[in-house]
Amino acid sequence: MIEFQQISKKWPDGTLALADVNVRIPKGQFCVILGPSGAGKSTLLRTVNGLTQTTNGQISIEGVTLTPASAKTLRRRVAMIHQHFNLTLRMSVAANVLAGLLPVVSTGRAILGWFEPAHRAKACALLARVGLDSKHLLRRAGELSGGQQQRVGVARAFMLDPEVVLADEPVASLDPKISREILSLIRDAARERNATVLCSLHQVDLAREFGDRIVGMRDGKIVFDGTPEEFTDERVEALYHGAQWEDQPAVETEDLYNDALQPQLVAA
Amino acid sequence: MDIKPIPVPAQGTTLGWQLDQPYRAKHLLWLLLVLAVLLFTGHRTEMDKMVVLTGQAVGNLVGLNDESQVVRGLSRVGQSMWPPAFGTEEEVARLTNLDRNNLPFLATIETHEKVEQHLNIDTLQMEESREKVELLVKPLGYVWTVFIKMLETIEIAIWGTLFSVVLSIPLAWYAARNYSYNKFTYTLARGTISLLRSMPELIVALFLVLAYGFGPIAGVLALGLHAAGFLGKFYAEDIENADKKPQEALEAIGAGKVKTLWYGVMPQVVPQYIAYTLYILDRNVRMATVIGLVGAGGIGQELKGRFDMFQYDHVATILIAIFIVVFLLDQFSARLRAKLI
Ligand SMILES: Nc1ncnc2c1ncn2[C@@H]1O[C@H](COP(=O)(O)OP(=O)(O)OP(=O)(O)O)[C@@H](O)[C@H]1O
Ligand SMILES: [Mg+2]
Repeated sequence: MIEFQQISKKWPDGTLALADVNVRIPKGQFCVILGPSGAGKSTLLRTVNGLTQTTNGQISIEGVTLTPASAKTLRRRVAMIHQHFNLTLRMSVAANVLAGLLPVVSTGRAILGWFEPAHRAKACALLARVGLDSKHLLRRAGELSGGQQQRVGVARAFMLDPEVVLADEPVASLDPKISREILSLIRDAARERNATVLCSLHQVDLAREFGDRIVGMRDGKIVFDGTPEEFTDERVEALYHGAQWEDQPAVETEDLYNDALQPQLVAA
Repeated sequence: MDIKPIPVPAQGTTLGWQLDQPYRAKHLLWLLLVLAVLLFTGHRTEMDKMVVLTGQAVGNLVGLNDESQVVRGLSRVGQSMWPPAFGTEEEVARLTNLDRNNLPFLATIETHEKVEQHLNIDTLQMEESREKVELLVKPLGYVWTVFIKMLETIEIAIWGTLFSVVLSIPLAWYAARNYSYNKFTYTLARGTISLLRSMPELIVALFLVLAYGFGPIAGVLALGLHAAGFLGKFYAEDIENADKKPQEALEAIGAGKVKTLWYGVMPQVVPQYIAYTLYILDRNVRMATVIGLVGAGGIGQELKGRFDMFQYDHVATILIAIFIVVFLLDQFSARLRAKLI
């Protein structure tokens, strides 16, 4: 369970990325966060493991409040899957997956690369689980395709059997088929462990398909919170285009495009 | 389908603009200023004299000019350098424990007649006295000496490199902004690096010879200290510039700084580190031949001794040896680099 209580985040440059966010995500739920670029989705996810410090408010994970002191132990229970996979590309697939265990492996053993047989077996099992053949085990991660790299990222995330999985646009750069596969992997692996998933996406169809619940964000605020069934097409329109209609008359944008931009684009 | 051509120029666009020109009137002014400064410093660094002297030398060589200071100086040194000294001769009488039946490799004993002139005090006439002297001749004796000295030089370079690598690892850790503990350790490490880099090996060696005496210790330390500054700086900058994404992934799960560095940064930077270290080894070998000039061991010490005794044929042998070593080193490091990166 993740609980956000009156979370706000103001960047030093004055941007208010999160404005009084209150949500509670029960254990085991697959919660998708949608919203236009700059809505604060990444910021929200990153507050959960303390990568971003909140300006205000309180976050608790499974009843434990996140503080600088508790962050270190809490982080071990919170996995993260990244948009750009964030693998060490010059390192082997196996090493990248085992790196998911670093918080619980002693520094000496980590430096020497001595991982217990049980750990190595787990890495192999997880790689098999995400559909990567064992022949890739000792290949460089950089040699893999994007989809394969994200499989490694998912395997790494589940090495410590997390209670919370944060996925920040995990399929943003993958084709629709692979995207479904990766999201299914995340959903199923999380279900097996009864882990809570907080996943930001840009694809509404995927959000409806995989989310138990959809949270819509705009300008740092939650503007929609409900089931996929409740997230109708009108809601989608409102989420992505709502403010633009309010802020600027649509005609003006069109004029700008037709008269000034188009010839320049073609000429360039 | 009907494709309408795009109207050029499009309505409402103007052509009253240009790309930035690369030069303007003020650049000409700058050019004149730079030329003036160059003329001034050129005179101070005697570049005008250099041109005259070199011109004379060229004229002398093509036969237009019969007097050239440069050619005279060079040919005098050149003549005394040629042929390079390869062998050694020692008076047998001075060698206390020479086994005549078991001479060193390639060595022979030759008998020379030594003619000495001296004044007879009674007759007040110059008299010649002839004396037979036995010499132990080693045809490659000096080559061997140079070889041993060169080996010592390379050893100094290797130890200096080792020393610098060991020293620069903690330096790099503290000098990397994103891994240093705080601003103080960062500034301290950066300061140390600048200090080390600002001290030329030759000067450091000069002082270390005073502290540790003549010999390789001063050489190793001088090379190591300077190179540690270089390596510390470059190692640290590679850590700072490494791709942040894998580091963030490890930081997110709370892996800790050392483990994050090892798994998120090191694999990225190791090829560059090897290249830097090879460069330092290369540089240290070349520097190790020089620091002997101030008594810090190696071939330079031999070079200085021979130079001071005007034995330019020996100097020639040493210079040839240095060239061969540097050439081989270039080949070696190019090959190693290609293999490792
Ligand atoms: N490190 C930062 N410093 C300053 N402002 C930031 C920083 N990171 C994000 N922001 C700002 O915070 C706001 C929210 O950004 P965030 O990255 O959370 O958006 P997002 O919803 O994830 O967008 P996207 O869908 O494009 O990933 C934006 O206005 C952004 O400019
Ligand atoms: Mg984002």
